[in-house]
Amino acid sequence: MKIEEKLQILTDSAKYDVSCSSSGSTRTHDFGGVGATHASGICHSFSADGRCISLLKILFTNYCIYNCSYCINRSSNDLKRAAFTPKEIADLTINFYKRNYIEGLFLSSGIITSEDHTMELILKTLQLLRYEHGFNGYVHVKLIPGSSEHLIKAVTRLADRVSSNVELPSQKSLALLAPDKTKEKLFEPLNIVKNDALEQGKKVIGMSTQMIIGASPESDYDILRLSNSFYNKGLLKRVYFSAYIPTVTHKNLPAIDTPPPLLREHRLYQADWLMRFYGFGWDEITTERNPFLDERFDPKLAWALRNLHLFPVEVNRADRETLLRVPGFGTRSVSKILRARRAKALRPDDLETMKISLKRARYFITVGGRAVKKTALAYEQLESTMLSLEKPKAGTQPSLFDVLQTNTGEI
Amino acid sequence: MLWLYDGSFEGFFCALHKSYRDKSIPEVLTSDTSKLNLLSEPVTIETDREVAKKVSESIVSHFPRKIIERIYHVFLCDDVAHERELLLYIRLGFKDITFLENLSHPVVFAIEGYQKRLFSTIHKMQEFLRFEMLEDGMLYAKIAPPRNVLPLLGRHFIKRLRNERFIIHDISRGWIVVCDGKGLEMHEVVDASVPVLHEKEQHFQKLWQTFFDSVTIEARKNYNAQRKSIPLLYRGLMTEFK
Repeated sequence: MKIEEKLQILTDSAKYDVSCSSSGSTRTHDFGGVGATHASGICHSFSADGRCISLLKILFTNYCIYNCSYCINRSSNDLKRAAFTPKEIADLTINFYKRNYIEGLFLSSGIITSEDHTMELILKTLQLLRYEHGFNGYVHVKLIPGSSEHLIKAVTRLADRVSSNVELPSQKSLALLAPDKTKEKLFEPLNIVKNDALEQGKKVIGMSTQMIIGASPESDYDILRLSNSFYNKGLLKRVYFSAYIPTVTHKNLPAIDTPPPLLREHRLYQADWLMRFYGFGWDEITTERNPFLDERFDPKLAWALRNLHLFPVEVNRADRETLLRVPGFGTRSVSKILRARRAKALRPDDLETMKISLKRARYFITVGGRAVKKTALAYEQLESTMLSLEKPKAGTQPSLFDVLQTNTGEI
Repeated sequence: MLWLYDGSFEGFFCALHKSYRDKSIPEVLTSDTSKLNLLSEPVTIETDREVAKKVSESIVSHFPRKIIERIYHVFLCDDVAHERELLLYIRLGFKDITFLENLSHPVVFAIEGYQKRLFSTIHKMQEFLRFEMLEDGMLYAKIAPPRNVLPLLGRHFIKRLRNERFIIHDISRGWIVVCDGKGLEMHEVVDASVPVLHEKEQHFQKLWQTFFDSVTIEARKNYNAQRKSIPLLYRGLMTEFK
């Protein structure tokens, strides 16, 4: 088989993996050759679906001995199969890297022959890249659950990030849709990596996972609680969500013509952002009584509407955490405000000078004790006002997809 | 009053010097002769290297490194008429350096905005610049950035393309940065001959195209998001959009 065809098949099979981040490498070892990592990550292109392309994201092979019903590479699927050689992957990576197409490699694989055999092939590829080519760019490896500890450790030492997908947010769904996998088995590689680092007194390598959204009945409340526990345990740096795209008819799965829940995925990412960068607790964003995120509003606005007693916020006095909770203020607006108010007391037109958008925020703040917009802080009124702000501009075809964009190149 | 200077850093410093000497601020400060009109006679600023040197020395001794870099960066933004604002910015800083911390001052906000846009252009080039391999193994990239970022690009690529020889060619300004595998040099372009590509170059470009097309998820097509992230402006020189 020609290399073009292999690349086409094995990219096609790998593309449902969401992660493409090339940021936050903490590797200190230098392999001496071409390549460097960039703290904030670099997206080198964007595909027609709007996703960032930062890494050469491919499978080693899409042959697989398992038959997980949600997975495109399951053994029963009638699909063109291919496998790379370690040398082919190393050559592609180096040549793409030199031309500034990519930051590095994201290598995952179906299970060929056995877990250990697959992991050995991955290890061989990494050894070739790191030792023979001295490649010093970013490498993300998807660990193979069920492979031997020594292989997992060896691969991790040559990588910048490793991950293992939890796939589904609960044990029950796993049993239903991926009977060959258990929660323990999926987590085993991550725990091996963590314990190995702790034993050696080293910093744990960046790890991430991915959950499929909409293939099983879990609520956003369940999903955020699970993500939160990963972050709290310090096990993971990042949790990715992937809207389930039906590719197969199965009694336990949504019908084949169900559209992927892209808006729900988007809201989950926003909620995840609130947890990681805005100091929100998972149980503030969703509650047991309201277990699903409001699809009409972003989760911060929805939270504010439920907590109107905390508003308005005085822009000249509120601390950073409080300002970050104002709908419409992002980290950048807040930094601008904090810096500018050290020089002088701010007035409404100062915010305008600094190009801080008040479209939503004006309803939730006072500036110098005065309201920017005299609206009663009443739920019914604000709800309809906020809904009118969400309306698409006249003349444009309103599309759900306009609002969806995930920048996975950033952390 | 319209002041006309020669577009160089030195010329700009001389204009700054004149504004202190004459206690005056120009309505327009530019090197662009198309801005002239028949009604008013422009004041032509003579570029005097000695004067410029004195001004630059006093800037270096008065301002912290961060601000000096900012002045240089804004000067590289050749897409906007920023000279008058930059002059006001420097004068503001000479009066009291803490004024430059007041982000709600229109001049301070504008100047920091220009610098931010320059940084964003640098980042765009780090993302979207594409090298081609020439027959002798040299890597060659053409760029046409909206701001003059070439002087600041070399550092990034020399770090990652260790031991490689490369050229970055700004085709709209006619300058190149050359790395011989060790250090960086900047030259004005004299030889405009078309370089010959490596025999494997087409092969790898085609592979990249294959990857780029295959990685798209059909069910999630979203050209708006793609256009937001890669403005059309950059696509002309990118392998995957050819």
